[in-house]
Amino acid sequence: MINSIRLIFALSWRNLWRNKRRTLIILFAIILGVWAMIVTAAFMRGMVFQMLEDTVDNLAGHVQIHHPQYLDDPVIDNSFNPQSAAVSKLLQDPRIALSSTRIRLAAVIVSERESSGITMLGIDPAQESKVSFIGRSVVEGRFLDSTSDNGIVIGKALADKLQTRLGKRIVLMSQDINNEIADRGFRIVGIFDAPLDPTEKSFIFIAKDNAEKMLGLKNKASEIVLRLHNTDMVNSLVNDYAQFDKNIDVMSWLKAEPYLEMMIELMDSSMFIWYLIVFLAMAFGIINTLLMAVFERTREFGLFQALGQKPGFILFQVWLEAVLMIIVGLVIGNILSWLSVLATGDGIDVSVFARGMEMLNMSNIIPFVITFDDLIVANLTVAILGMLTGLYPAWRASRLVPAHAITRI
Amino acid sequence: MRHLVIQIFSFLLLFHLAVSSQAETAAQLIRQAMDNYRGLSSYSEASMTIHRPDWERVMSMKVWTQGLDKSLVRITAPIKDKNGGSLLIGDNMWSYAPKINRVIKIPSSMSNQSWMGSDFSNNDIARADEIINNYTHTLLETKKINNRLTYIIQSVPNEDAPVVWGKEIITINDHYVLLKHEFYDQDNILIKTLTASEIKKVGDKYISLKQRMQKTDHANEWTEVVTTVVKFNVTFNKNTFTLSNLRNPR
Amino acid sequence: MNTAWRFAWRNIWRNKRRTVLTMCAIGFGAALIVFSVGLQLGQYDLMISGSTRIFQGLIQVQKRGYLNDARMRNTIPDAQSLAKKIRHETAINDIAVRANGFALVSSKERTYGVAVIGVETQYESYVSIIPGLIKSGRYLSADNANEMVIGRSLAKNLKVKLGDELTILGSGRDGSIAAAVLPVTGVFESGSRELDRSMIQIPIKTFQETFSMQTHAHAIVLYHQNSALLEPIKSQLDGILMPMNENLVAVGWDQIQPGIKESIELDYSSGWFIYIILIAIITFSIMNTFLMSVLERTREFGIMLALGFKPLNIGKLVMMEALILTVFALTIGTLIGISVNYYFLINGLTFEGMEEIAAQYNMPATITPQISLESSLLGPVTILVFTLVAALYPALKIRKLKPVEAMRHL
Repeated sequence: MINSIRLIFALSWRNLWRNKRRTLIILFAIILGVWAMIVTAAFMRGMVFQMLEDTVDNLAGHVQIHHPQYLDDPVIDNSFNPQSAAVSKLLQDPRIALSSTRIRLAAVIVSERESSGITMLGIDPAQESKVSFIGRSVVEGRFLDSTSDNGIVIGKALADKLQTRLGKRIVLMSQDINNEIADRGFRIVGIFDAPLDPTEKSFIFIAKDNAEKMLGLKNKASEIVLRLHNTDMVNSLVNDYAQFDKNIDVMSWLKAEPYLEMMIELMDSSMFIWYLIVFLAMAFGIINTLLMAVFERTREFGLFQALGQKPGFILFQVWLEAVLMIIVGLVIGNILSWLSVLATGDGIDVSVFARGMEMLNMSNIIPFVITFDDLIVANLTVAILGMLTGLYPAWRASRLVPAHAITRI
Repeated sequence: MRHLVIQIFSFLLLFHLAVSSQAETAAQLIRQAMDNYRGLSSYSEASMTIHRPDWERVMSMKVWTQGLDKSLVRITAPIKDKNGGSLLIGDNMWSYAPKINRVIKIPSSMSNQSWMGSDFSNNDIARADEIINNYTHTLLETKKINNRLTYIIQSVPNEDAPVVWGKEIITINDHYVLLKHEFYDQDNILIKTLTASEIKKVGDKYISLKQRMQKTDHANEWTEVVTTVVKFNVTFNKNTFTLSNLRNPR
Repeated sequence: MNTAWRFAWRNIWRNKRRTVLTMCAIGFGAALIVFSVGLQLGQYDLMISGSTRIFQGLIQVQKRGYLNDARMRNTIPDAQSLAKKIRHETAINDIAVRANGFALVSSKERTYGVAVIGVETQYESYVSIIPGLIKSGRYLSADNANEMVIGRSLAKNLKVKLGDELTILGSGRDGSIAAAVLPVTGVFESGSRELDRSMIQIPIKTFQETFSMQTHAHAIVLYHQNSALLEPIKSQLDGILMPMNENLVAVGWDQIQPGIKESIELDYSSGWFIYIILIAIITFSIMNTFLMSVLERTREFGIMLALGFKPLNIGKLVMMEALILTVFALTIGTLIGISVNYYFLINGLTFEGMEEIAAQYNMPATITPQISLESSLLGPVTILVFTLVAALYPALKIRKLKPVEAMRHL
């Protein structure tokens, strides 16, 4: 039995290579197909991954806590007490990995030549740098180093707009708790670079203590942003604390990006349809190639059968040719995909479409993300469908009647 | 307005600075000068010309000031803008628009917008006392211009002062008239200049009757204020610096 | 020559199954790409008409330079007469004049900085959907009425309701104070929190009087649902504007909202990246077919060569076979693709979840594919090129055939 199997394998393998050119051509089609499946899937996953990262990173966090009216009217009056019993209890939930408490209000930043409306963020640098992008985005100077740092960190695009630079002073103006003008000079100690221009233009960072002093706030925050251990915990956490305390409002980041949610859901089903299409394109070739191979060897098969081999043997052998071809194609295709993705490093740069990407709220570098699931689905699709496809030529081969076959020219 | 105000008190500043050019002493002296100055009041009438490459606009106004932090400006011509004006108390500014009979408080975000379309910003008009509290002043040099002793003072804003300028240079003559006020950015580039001319003596003080504010990069755009009447040590009605007065001129 | 074609045709059908399979591969590719491109282009049409319909319009006539420097004084003189003239000469009625300003709007409780838009009350609904999105009260009634409509978020933030008066304070065209007090006659909800929070609309003549504009305005907005007509309409406008006032230009939606144009380009390029890969796979798939059909006739070709046929002619014959096969398959495939597009053109295509998103962005919930030369032919022609290149390979091999050896081939 084992010997038969070894024999069959040997026969099939050698038969494949009897006509090198033919086999190589169809192999190429298979490799191209597998590569296309995996790389495009990686690209789409990368896009979604990047969008998620950008959203979460971009100050949204996983979960946000606000005063109930803050989102509709983000003014100073709609602040809450971040040290209330309710909030403290919430923050002890084990699902929370990190948090950052912020004062977040509209303000105007002024330089010698220009002014601009921005969102001022009064933060604790130790907390904030772990929770959002700002911790690693400072490209010139430094980030704030304590809650009483007198400096300000602004985005590169904003610095350009204001015609100012690192080391210069600017003035921040806003309205304090008594509705009076509150303003103060700050020296730019750091400049950050964010994937999106609007981020650089809208947000500035100062130390929480200075924000509080300037605005006359005591024990008040505009928002607390939470990063959980796992994205899956978001919904359950939000549900648990939704009605917790009437002074605060707990919201998930997805609420801000419903579009994203839909995209993610659509992605899996459209990915599978794409795989089918690619396979179909390959399938015609596989069938044709195998049929031609079978046809060429009609006499040979006839001889086999005349010599006593069962039709089952022939069927298995021809089918195995298809299977081997597919396996080789899969292996090489997978390796090539993996190499291509490696070669792209952090991702591909699509800054040619920069403004279009901005509209989708995406940065210009899209990474390739190969997920285990995608790999499995792609490989299984090709393997299973390929094996089914191979049955047809194999069956035709086994149906040859010996007498006719041998006398075939 | 602010520059009228600076001009008026600057003689006190200068007097003490002429004696010593050390910053600390200067600060103490400034404080004293401020205390002395608190009692000063003025009334003036002026016309403001806003000049642009393709048009020009002229407004007439009356100005009342008390000390460093109260002033009222009322427009008297042209008809379109008549009776409109601004009231400034401390850091706050209100504007009155007669067409709609409303008084609006100007929020901080508007303070950099131009005042009535001129080259002065709302801030320029409003924040007179900044010049004292938020800067460190040093006397740079003394020289003779037109046979008068002229002092050039450099004022550098303090670290967390809400002032964007890198420095301001004020040129004052020994009659305590502000001749020039230059605004430099933090790279030492001159951004805008206020130039004063037509110096006259009013009572026992010297005043410049014509002032022009000009941005360095736009030569054909400027705003000029010409004062036609000025009186000092005026006594005001208790009601002068109130919102109801802003709205309803008596 | 006729004989050659007939010859080619018969050769193809000598191996029915192989030919049919090959044609299926080609036809499948063609149908798929025709449908897919049709869908993509239809989607873009939707995106463009959707976003231009909300507010910005397809084309705007503005003073030269206004696009990058939206200052109060960069105006169009005599705007409403110009608009009338344009309506008359282009026979397009969806044209409206707009004046844009920035002002502080105050209620008793609060003050906010907003964009103030002066609109032609009769025409604004032809170029923007906002007049149709009034959720309470009504839209503006006359060009000189003392009325204002604001967004819902703004109404909420200002804590005002219908009938309450708001004060507008800003700078006029000549720098003077622009002030007005107007009652809120309508509240709109556009779906975009941004618009609802930061825009108010007042009648144009009221705007002009308040902001010292005289007869000036900032833009003449033109809407047309067929975005393909962008260039022709632009040229027509240039023709009207040039002789009148060389300072006026017509700017297209792609200049006003370049982000949309680029996201469309991004999507289209990535689509074509995928199509090319697919076509390449199909090409390799069928290359063996062509190869085999040539190699198995080696003996036959040998005889033909011996009989005096030129190798070039045999090569031509093989190419003709490929051509006929491909064109035949492409025609069927393309027709299938077009029919599918047509079906969805009539019935509209939706898939799960689209309705919610569409409602949020104020777009229709169905996509209609575009049937055009581009969607119907671009894919098939590309396939044709690829397959002919694939057929070249075996055709070239024929030139190397030596008659005697060939005849002896098995």
